Amino acid sequence: MQATTMNFTIEPITHDSVVIRIGKALDFRNAADFKAGAQEQVRSGVRNFILDFTETGILDSTGLGSIFSLYRQVSPMSGQVVFASVSRPVQVVVQLTRTYKVFRQFPTVEAARDAIR
Amino acid sequence: MSQHSILIVEDEHTLRRLLEYRLGKQYNVRTAANGEEALERIKEEVPRLIISDIMMPKMDGFALQAALQEMDHTKAIPFIFLTAKADEASRLKGRRTGVDDYITKPFDIDQLLSRVDRLLERTAQFQNQLDAKIGQDFSQKLMPKKMPSAPGYRALFHSAPKEHGGGDIFDATQPRPGTYFITIGDVMGKGLQAKFYAFSFLGYIRSTMHAMLRNTSSPAELMTRVNQVLMDDPPLEDTFASLLLIRWEPERNLITYANAGHCRPVLIGPRGAEIVPYSDMILGLDAGATFKDTSLVLQPGSALISYTDGLLEQVMKSGEQLGEEGILQHANSAYGKADPVQSLLTSVLDDSVESKFGDDVLMFWLEREASKDRQSRGPAPRWFSPFSEGTES
Repeated sequence: MQATTMNFTIEPITHDSVVIRIGKALDFRNAADFKAGAQEQVRSGVRNFILDFTETGILDSTGLGSIFSLYRQVSPMSGQVVFASVSRPVQVVVQLTRTYKVFRQFPTVEAARDAIR
Repeated sequence: MSQHSILIVEDEHTLRRLLEYRLGKQYNVRTAANGEEALERIKEEVPRLIISDIMMPKMDGFALQAALQEMDHTKAIPFIFLTAKADEASRLKGRRTGVDDYITKPFDIDQLLSRVDRLLERTAQFQNQLDAKIGQDFSQKLMPKKMPSAPGYRALFHSAPKEHGGGDIFDATQPRPGTYFITIGDVMGKGLQAKFYAFSFLGYIRSTMHAMLRNTSSPAELMTRVNQVLMDDPPLEDTFASLLLIRWEPERNLITYANAGHCRPVLIGPRGAEIVPYSDMILGLDAGATFKDTSLVLQPGSALISYTDGLLEQVMKSGEQLGEEGILQHANSAYGKADPVQSLLTSVLDDSVESKFGDDVLMFWLEREASKDRQSRGPAPRWFSPFSEGTES
């Protein structure tokens, strides 16, 4: 069961965990769609989000902001947002903002799945 | 989603479906079979444009149009009448109620589509102009009226906000003689919304500083408080910002800063440029985030360069973003020029794909003069100090 919105593929893995495959870009053009898609997942009970950045070449501050919003929403409910397969442009932004302290990183989606289970 | 939503009001099933199908290729289309249904759809979500028949059961097109004119939030929705009544009387009546266009059946669907495009384009253009005007106003208010200054120093500032750029902020205050606080930041997001948040956020920072500077002069302590404000205050709930707080004491040539996820400044001097590395987490994300003060002494002839991410993200001819490496490189070649900020920006643009910056660009260059310093201390004891930092020329 997969749902696609704009550039995102949302794949459920357990009743409260999903993998969101971020496409080529998460920026001011599609951040609102990401936010809406994630919101819908939170409403339906999802608490853990694995963001797959394998293909992501662009992550701007609006895009990052939409991930931050998600984090602030799920963290009080003991939810997690973790990053998988982080591409270099994404790593640069994460380093700059020092947010690696908040978003755990895994080399692959599989590793992330095993860790949050 | 609602960006280009169109409402079609038509009682005839086949035509309604046809319009839905053709317009649906480009727009987000909703339909209603009469005026009453249309009002319900509008209550759910205000469309960007309405195409309506005139003759319909329950509530006709004229009554719908009149009802929309009654309400402020629907008054300005572009409205196209689509009807078989080709007679002049209804055409005039249509004009009188402030309808934007009037198309008679049978009509050419491509012609309708082009009119829809044009109408939406026009309203978008109007909106953009308005946004740009308000945005410019915010941008101006967000920028300083006066630069900090001190003997033996020069402070250069450049800011070029984009009409649809982000929320860069800059502020300089002097809470007591001999001490300045310089704030450089970026509120995440784009466009008018980011500018608005930046504007209110700067207000928070200034009042926090004003209240706290009586008891502390630590940028890190101020940062901790500002982070709490972002975490606790509902109006700022979804606001995230990177911030660089610099305390500058010119008489001691001392810089003390705390950096919350902001672009790391560059320290440049006769020996070259380097990144000032230490920074902590961006604001608004973690209530438990801690911040640390770091100090450095500005040597004669050296400068601290602070900037915002618009510069970092500029795309170069290599296809890569400028990045910290690029900034170091361009800073090195700009160092020593009469106007190093302009030189730096010009050389970055020369190597960019586009001939303009893609985002807001803000830069603050604080330089301790080499020559003035030597003068104030008298002639340098050249003859017995082989380790003197001054140049021999």
